[in-house]
Amino acid sequence: MSAPFSCHRRRFLQWVGGALVWLGLERLATDRRVAAATRGPESDYAWAVLVDLTRCTGCNRCALACKTANRLPNPEQVPTGLDSGAYSFVAEYKVAGDSADAASVFVKRQCMHCLHPACASACTVGALRKTAEGPVVYDAAKCIGCRYCQYACPFGVPTYDWQNPLGLIHKCELCRERLAENEKPACVDACPTGALQFGRRRDLLRQARARIRSNPDRYVAHIYGEHEAGGTSVLYLSSVPFADLGFPALPDAAVPEVAEAVMKQTPTVAFTVATLATALHFVMKRRTAANHH
Amino acid sequence: MITAMTTLRRAVPAFLFGRDWPLLVSLAFLTLLGVLAGLARLVLGLGPTTGLSDAYPWGLWIGFDFLLIALSGAGFTMAAVGHILHIHSLHEAVRPAILTGLMGYVSVLLLLVLDLGRPDRFYHFILFWNVHSPLFEISWCVLLYTTVLLIETSPYLCERLGWTRPVRWFFKLITPITVIGVTLSTLHQSTLGTLYLNMPHRLHPLWYTPLLPPLFYVSSILAGFAVGLLSYRAAVRVAGRREKPEVVAGLAKGMAIVGAFYLALRVGEVVVAGKWPLLRPDQAMARLWWAEVGLGVIVPLLLWLWPRWRRWPLTTWLAPLLVIFGVGANRFNATWFAQTPPQGGTYWPHPLEWFSTLGILAAAALAWYVGIRLLVIFDSKTAHVS
Repeated sequence: MSAPFSCHRRRFLQWVGGALVWLGLERLATDRRVAAATRGPESDYAWAVLVDLTRCTGCNRCALACKTANRLPNPEQVPTGLDSGAYSFVAEYKVAGDSADAASVFVKRQCMHCLHPACASACTVGALRKTAEGPVVYDAAKCIGCRYCQYACPFGVPTYDWQNPLGLIHKCELCRERLAENEKPACVDACPTGALQFGRRRDLLRQARARIRSNPDRYVAHIYGEHEAGGTSVLYLSSVPFADLGFPALPDAAVPEVAEAVMKQTPTVAFTVATLATALHFVMKRRTAANHH
Repeated sequence: MITAMTTLRRAVPAFLFGRDWPLLVSLAFLTLLGVLAGLARLVLGLGPTTGLSDAYPWGLWIGFDFLLIALSGAGFTMAAVGHILHIHSLHEAVRPAILTGLMGYVSVLLLLVLDLGRPDRFYHFILFWNVHSPLFEISWCVLLYTTVLLIETSPYLCERLGWTRPVRWFFKLITPITVIGVTLSTLHQSTLGTLYLNMPHRLHPLWYTPLLPPLFYVSSILAGFAVGLLSYRAAVRVAGRREKPEVVAGLAKGMAIVGAFYLALRVGEVVVAGKWPLLRPDQAMARLWWAEVGLGVIVPLLLWLWPRWRRWPLTTWLAPLLVIFGVGANRFNATWFAQTPPQGGTYWPHPLEWFSTLGILAAAALAWYVGIRLLVIFDSKTAHVS
């Protein structure tokens, strides 16, 4: 009786042990994936979108598909800016080409999905968050509507629902629900010219470099979003300098680095001030007592 | 009708019918307007009742939040003067300043209720943490420090009611309470500066500097002395007492010392960072800087340093008022005038923003007046024991 039981027990223990090791490894791998997605050169793991402005014809199908996918009002109306009813829109810039007449360049705008997003760092209640998969997502149930994210974002992306007495923040989440079902973001799916491409950030960067190398006359030698503000998950290629298309010139450092370094000092500051104030109290009390006598 | 009036007059303290009644009636009227404006905002939402937009999501209310928290630095500054530095000659000015501080923080909480998109979720920062966020730390510190201020002002009421036991307990604990208050204030006064470190792309370089946290902290102590001085001078008048010249002189001296230190930090930062070419007064931002630092720091310092000007009776009013103007201008410049939104656009407050702000300030002033008249502010039998 005892032999088969112990055999079962041994196998059971082996199974449990194996499961625990697997769980631990899985946990470690997940942690590393999260860390990799948020910073460092390995951040290229995450999903990203490459926008090739030279291929965009300004048809606006992406912006309309975005409205439908996010169940926003007036899905037939072409948006002209980012607001609580449009998480993406296509801006038109008139630039003088080689020929004398001005050519139009169309720029699709939406959340850049920064690798180290300032909005998430600033958010009072942690409603905004960078995921390991790439999107910067928003938890509407936590949001208190303080609107600090709007100040922290260097691209002016988060918008607030001003007409709603209980308004909230609105922004592109890179179609997180579609990604979970192994579908591309709605805008990429809708693009008929291949101006929008979805893939791993590392692969898209490699492709973008290859395009610049093989067509140096067609592209400016710059991938916007590769390094800007610590890097973004939406990358742009253009034939016109990005400064002429309303792209902000941003340093390579992620926006929240300075504030986060200061915030890390909070316990030290608290401890130092409390100790100094207590010491000063005893010193000054003795001194004033001595003066009175 | 006559009996109703008599009942009303008995229920309301007699001083409300005293010589200050025109002021009190105006404050009550402004409070009423503010309540109506606030209700309109809560019912209709921010869009129709404010000038706020996606380009300027913060406006007048946030400006006053920053201003009022800096001015309410009087609470921790004067608590430290009284109970940590033990400067007995200034003791009379401690209680009026702490009462002012409490009024300031309560006003900030009311303004935040109007400003938050979801005021019904104001407590969310207790449930959902983000330790990277300056606003998260500020929320916790403001909550805890307002509690400290309530504890610090509780003996003023208990002494009036003759409750000696809680007062005795309070004075046993006064050192740790004061140390906690000073620590919490140091944290959030400086973190209000850290908050702007997340906006290098919006804020003009004359205001954006990694030194923002210490600058905000030191200027809150500077404002603390100025408000401590004005609170004392107003309180002795409301209470019908004689002002002690040595209290006024002592607080003005504190203001001058901190003011000189703040000026050195402010100018030193611009020079060391090589930003002094930005100070040429042909640029609008430079003029804004000079108005703030010149009128708000340099002029009051000169008024104090020049013996002839110091003796001038108007100086003891003018200098602290200029300091308050300077610190207030600094907070408004940082949050509004020195900001450029990435998508462009301008902001001008809606009349309802003005009415609601004025209403909250009027209510705070009214409550402060009643507090000075009803609470034990000057003749504490127990305060000197500490």
